[in-house]
Amino acid sequence: MGDNLGNLELAHVFYWLRDLLLATGLTEPWVTIVTYTALGAMMFGVLALLALFLVWWERKIGGHIQQRFGPMRTGWHGWYQTVMDALKLLQKEDVVVDKRDKFVFFWAPVVCFVAAFLAYVVMPFGNRLIVADLNIGILYIMAVTTFTVISLLMAGWGSNNKYALLGGLRSAAQVVSYEVPMVASILTVIVYAGSLSMVDIVEAQSGLFINWNIFRLPFGPIAFIVYIIAATAEANRTPFDIPEAEQELVAGFNIEYSGMKFAMFFLAEFVNMFTVSAIAVTLFFGGWNGVFLPSWLWFLLKTLGVVLLLMLFRWTYPRLRVDQLMEFAWKFLVPLAFANLILGSIMKYLGWYW
Amino acid sequence: MGVLKGLKELLRGMGITGRHLGRHAVTIQYPEERWTMPERSRGVVVLLSDKETGELNCTGCALCEKACPTGAIDMDAPRGEDKKRVLTKFVVDNAICCFCGLCEEACNFCAIKMDTRYEMSVLDKKELVWDLFKLQEMGKDTAYEDTRKKKNPARVLKPGEKMPEAKPPEAKPEPAPVNPGENKPAAETPEAKPAEEPKKPEEPAGDDKKSESGGEN
Repeated sequence: MGDNLGNLELAHVFYWLRDLLLATGLTEPWVTIVTYTALGAMMFGVLALLALFLVWWERKIGGHIQQRFGPMRTGWHGWYQTVMDALKLLQKEDVVVDKRDKFVFFWAPVVCFVAAFLAYVVMPFGNRLIVADLNIGILYIMAVTTFTVISLLMAGWGSNNKYALLGGLRSAAQVVSYEVPMVASILTVIVYAGSLSMVDIVEAQSGLFINWNIFRLPFGPIAFIVYIIAATAEANRTPFDIPEAEQELVAGFNIEYSGMKFAMFFLAEFVNMFTVSAIAVTLFFGGWNGVFLPSWLWFLLKTLGVVLLLMLFRWTYPRLRVDQLMEFAWKFLVPLAFANLILGSIMKYLGWYW
Repeated sequence: MGVLKGLKELLRGMGITGRHLGRHAVTIQYPEERWTMPERSRGVVVLLSDKETGELNCTGCALCEKACPTGAIDMDAPRGEDKKRVLTKFVVDNAICCFCGLCEEACNFCAIKMDTRYEMSVLDKKELVWDLFKLQEMGKDTAYEDTRKKKNPARVLKPGEKMPEAKPPEAKPEPAPVNPGENKPAAETPEAKPAEEPKKPEEPAGDDKKSESGGEN
């Protein structure tokens, strides 16, 4: 990844840290390891704070949709409520089931947490603000975000609880189904960008907002709709939250988790929501492209806009039944996504686009 | 085209929630903010005092005690030496009170009222038993319309003061022959009942008028 350093806006920090470490007499492999660890820690910190903010925001949005206030007690409009919640969860006793599968039970939240953060390796936060511009960026994201479902299955299996297992299995079935239309809609975008690299995809949409993929009529909006539906299902959010359907499965896969392990699942869920929104922005809303404001701020604002859309979904729509969920994925979304892909490819081939 | 219709309806739902997002919350931040309760709302029971003299309006007729369906009111107002009623006891147990407001309905002398206050959580159940002075204290600022045609307040027995028991033996033999049978079931207050019972309970004004004139003489 070293040869990509020229693309980094973070390069200043990177080189400064590198020089500092070299001055202390560290040898080459260690310098790289330490600098990348520092970079990773930085990303982790930012994303953990972002997840806490999203939990707070979700509660505020949900409250105001129902004409409540949401958290109001801790600070101005309860702004550090989720920080306090996280601290509380860290202090709590780690209650475990006696007859659990020890190894699987322990590693499930870890896998979930790590999988949630892996996608940010190739996420273009701004112009030249990316950890590593892989030439298979979007493929990499599709691969690693699916790790989440493995962790949910592990949690369901390891808990030795029927509700947890049902939640895990439902989650697996759901993610496998919705992965198909999701990839098909992403392929439509890739056909136009001509590259799997996240940076190339964003740069293909540079210029005014009319160049964004969502405005590439008629297949852009359809691809976006298919993507956002599938992404909601991937992030296990409300119209498709059958893996943790409270009324049926108590809490689903995380029923037996408490304390810090639960906090990891919980934060990972919100990081996942931000991930799918960030991918949606990169693919359909021109990524960091924008005028006047700095590129990273444009990216953040657009992503928070998509997050707001997902939150509105959650507080508006009732949950789908399991069979309706599968029917919707296979009988409606998959044909629509592939028809859209074929249409888009033909138009690209004929050059009927701008 | 069912798909398009469904999509339209989904967007309509989003519009509704989006509209509600912009509205102001209806929540009251309770300990800091409170509702102003409506005038007719039924909170705690209080005893009202005369606006000018400041003494209790209660005549001691015990209509509220009879009206109370749960027996939350426990009062005692025997006739004193001058045949005027002396309010020796007026206790409301708020733990039993069902806030029906029937005592307020029954009272003909604007003496008892359901106040709009509704917060009375205490650490000990005994603190919910409010005596005469507590009830008067609570009703000090309660707004009410004084619709009494005649004022006939009972004297309040001060704490520590003994009930004067000079006259009741004289009053007793007088009404006893009129209707001795009806006295027995409701013989809660042996001193007061014999004097009161010959009249119907619906006419406490006349009863009190009589006792008032007796007092003046």
